Amino acid sequence: MINEIWTEKYRPSTFSEIVGQQEIVKRIESLTKAMNIPHMLFAGPAGVGKSTMALIVVKELFGENWRENFLELNASDERGINVIREKVKNFARTKSLGKVPFKVIFLDEADALTPEAQQALRRTMENFSATCRFILSCNYSSKIIDPIQSRCAIFRFKLLERKDIEKYLRRIIQAEKLIVEDEAMEIIYEGSEGDCRRATNILQSTAAVSPNITAEIVSTVISNAKPKDIRVVLDYALSGDFERAREKLLDIMLKESISGQDVIKSIQKEIWNLPIEPEIKVKLTEKTGEIEFRIIEGSDPFIQLQSLLASFVLAGLGKG
Amino acid sequence: MSESWVEKYRPKKFSEVKGQEGAIKKIKEFIEDFNLGKLTKIEKKALLLHGPPGTGKTTLAHVLANETGSELFELNASDFRNRQKLQEILKPALEQKSLMSRNKIILIDEVDGISGADWGGVTELVYLISNSNYPIILTANDAWKRSLAPLRQKAELVQLREIDYRTIREILFDILRKEDLPINQEVITKIAIKAKGDVRAAINDLQAISKLKGEIPTEFDERNKEIDIFNALRRIFKEKPSQELLKLFDSVDMSLDEILLWIEQNIPKEYQEHELAHAYEMLSKADIFRGRIYKQQYWRFMLYESIFMSYGISASKKTPKPGFTSYQKPTRVLKIWLNNQRIAKKKSIAEKYAKTVHIGQKRALKEFPIIKQIILSNPKIAEKLKLEKEEIEYLKGTSWEK
Repeated sequence: MINEIWTEKYRPSTFSEIVGQQEIVKRIESLTKAMNIPHMLFAGPAGVGKSTMALIVVKELFGENWRENFLELNASDERGINVIREKVKNFARTKSLGKVPFKVIFLDEADALTPEAQQALRRTMENFSATCRFILSCNYSSKIIDPIQSRCAIFRFKLLERKDIEKYLRRIIQAEKLIVEDEAMEIIYEGSEGDCRRATNILQSTAAVSPNITAEIVSTVISNAKPKDIRVVLDYALSGDFERAREKLLDIMLKESISGQDVIKSIQKEIWNLPIEPEIKVKLTEKTGEIEFRIIEGSDPFIQLQSLLASFVLAGLGKG
Repeated sequence: MSESWVEKYRPKKFSEVKGQEGAIKKIKEFIEDFNLGKLTKIEKKALLLHGPPGTGKTTLAHVLANETGSELFELNASDFRNRQKLQEILKPALEQKSLMSRNKIILIDEVDGISGADWGGVTELVYLISNSNYPIILTANDAWKRSLAPLRQKAELVQLREIDYRTIREILFDILRKEDLPINQEVITKIAIKAKGDVRAAINDLQAISKLKGEIPTEFDERNKEIDIFNALRRIFKEKPSQELLKLFDSVDMSLDEILLWIEQNIPKEYQEHELAHAYEMLSKADIFRGRIYKQQYWRFMLYESIFMSYGISASKKTPKPGFTSYQKPTRVLKIWLNNQRIAKKKSIAEKYAKTVHIGQKRALKEFPIIKQIILSNPKIAEKLKLEKEEIEYLKGTSWEK
């Protein structure tokens, strides 16, 4: 079966294919070769190879039977720690197939669990340590409680450098027979923010436009993928078109599922870029703060934001 | 905003005024006597038309001016706040000869609105009546207010009665015929009954239901509900703020939350600039109290919510808004519902994608725009993700550039 999603199609399947993280690769590879791994905690930013590493570990350990001996969970998606415990229990009930005496549970985004939930997780890890090894991943190890950290071998994944990402992308570019300008590569790297998955996604959606990848196409793809700007709402309000402004605001809030508080945050930042008098900027900031307070207090964000937009209409007239 | 039917069909002649025959007779007699100079000998030199809203007080004054070929000089209770201002306004009316030597009739609307504490206003008015060379018509809802006692001595009282519902129904039929609109006997009768003698309210209701856009409610009760809310909005936005507004929502069969949405939807239809900002500040305050009710389970806060929503928003305007406004149903709730339907599809797509590429669903949602482009770039991907037909249609249909 050919996988058409490049992040999967080109996901490294052996230790040697992993870019960057040389130290970690060396240590984990030797543990895996010994057919006995400890519980492990992978800490590091998104898209640097944490899940890939976990997948390679189980493939090395179990060979073809890896799927039967591997449970993958995402802490931010599961509804509460009880659901996670239940799944772990069911999975751990049967013995592992093959030579390796344990199964592997990969819990992604473990730092999404509250400290209380992590305590419960620690118990579960202890209860099933005879039959299961846990690999936890998180962005920040500081968000994982100490008792769990002390039970795990901790591996800190570093942000990928430009040369690592470029090396990785080159493999795809060659296989997919693409032509990529140097400048385009630069923009992909900037857009990826060191996240290899994101870099691959940008490359694939750009390649869908043309196999001849220019800086221009990359820029368009990246900007289309950005959430819509609150500025356009403010511009309508400043021009006096209140109804358009509020329609647009509701649109953005709904389509991008942005909360009232997030909208307030971007409005507060945007005030400084508006073509209005300094005195009015201060007044609008004060009003924005007041509205944020009201929303936090439990008022309806959309009503409160409309009230704020009405103040922007006045600001557009040069009044406060 | 379009032309108000109340204005468009306001009678021009006595013969067009329905249901006030007695009052018309009195008015005609008064003006005849006045023109014959009889009134200089008698006490009563003004007419005080009194009766409930929408019974034709102001209309009769206009008709009288029209039928006698007089110029109508209108004053309002608010002009009686101080002597100087009043005299400034009145001077030209009392002294100058009317253009083309036409006669003049002075109309002073809503004299019961002359503030109770301000006795000087009524005194001023009495003085004016005694010294006027022109007939004066006063109107009031309640002629028996204590503060109006001095006026009752100087003016001939003419009571206008609530109009019978059958007469109102005739008026409504007549308008529909002139507008070339279909007549639904049952609905019109119900509007006429519901108006309780107020012709203006009945005509406004009629215009409101004729303007209802979108799906037309099948049950009259539904219309009834909308008429109630239209009425409430009209009173908030069009009229001067009065304490009667405090009871306004009692007559609307909707929750305060629902009414709030209606007001929210329609503020920008009536108010601009400062009035808009002020009205939203009021709505925002109402909403704060709404939030506090739920948080503290303290229901008395509803009082504050309701006052900000009615009187507060009404008082946000400088002058009453003329004309007829077609108010809109709140669209926000519908939009949220539609959006939730869409979000549900987005979520299920994100879930399928997330599973396949070993990431969390939340991360997939965050990167959805780029993921969408990838899925659409190759039909095999949608196939592999086992996307449903509707999910693919959703991806193709939503334009993120818009």
